[in-house]
Amino acid sequence: MIGIIVAAHEAYALELVKAAELIAGAQPQVIPISFVPGENQKNLFEKYNAALNSFTDVTGVLFLCDLFGGSPFNAAGLLAAQRVDMDVVTGLNLPMLLGVYEVRSNRQLQEVVKAAILAGIAGVRSLK
Amino acid sequence: MEIVLARIDDRLIHGQVASTWSRDSGCNHIIVANDGVAQDELRRTLLIQVAPPGVKSHVLSVEKAIHAYQNPKYVNFKTFFLFSSPADAYRMVEGGVALKSINVGGMAFTSGKQQITKAVSVNTEDVNAFKKLHERGIVLEVRQVPSNSKQDLMELLQKEGLL
Repeated sequence: MIGIIVAAHEAYALELVKAAELIAGAQPQVIPISFVPGENQKNLFEKYNAALNSFTDVTGVLFLCDLFGGSPFNAAGLLAAQRVDMDVVTGLNLPMLLGVYEVRSNRQLQEVVKAAILAGIAGVRSLK
Repeated sequence: MEIVLARIDDRLIHGQVASTWSRDSGCNHIIVANDGVAQDELRRTLLIQVAPPGVKSHVLSVEKAIHAYQNPKYVNFKTFFLFSSPADAYRMVEGGVALKSINVGGMAFTSGKQQITKAVSVNTEDVNAFKKLHERGIVLEVRQVPSNSKQDLMELLQKEGLL
């Protein structure tokens, strides 16, 4: 099982995890984290470390962040750059999160990363 | 070097900066002037990596940033300067960097600081540095993103009884 930290500006992560729950049901080892005005990187490290400590029996952790270069990504990047069992994917959307839910119970981190990117991109389409 | 924007933001390059301010300012280079990050290989690498498309980011010590400003080699730079504190901004000014206006964007609350807006908290050291910048005639305006209306920092400090 790969643990998932969904991290984004304001309540986006929280609400997106709720939306995904509506579609796929409640999920273990998924933690949404909000970054709100007045906070900085230190607050994010505290929240990330608390989330990491709360995971049990995970073989790796994937951060899904809203914006490349945003604070949630920057802090996650600093943590994940030093660890082989962590990675960060940006461009967070609902199809990405659902795609990750499908595969994360029995796959390696690199495969879940690939699935996140594919599902995130595949969900962006036009009607015509 | 032309300075198109100077901002104090302890998050340095992040969402508001990478997505909004860099485009609004028309910069082609972002210079993060910060002694701590300049010595931290991991944070430095990440900040260079997150530069928005078409913009190159640099992480320099305050001293090196002053030298870069004075170097005629960088005449084509439209520079967006980023500092994490007013003290660093004042070091730049003392070093001869002609800042006319500073946008105050983010100074997180930590113990010993007083919150003056949702995103800006200050301690005595910050207030002293802001006073010195103000005495030099530099405009100090508080805004998160360009579309917010500007709030005068000195007025906010006055209102909070910090002057």
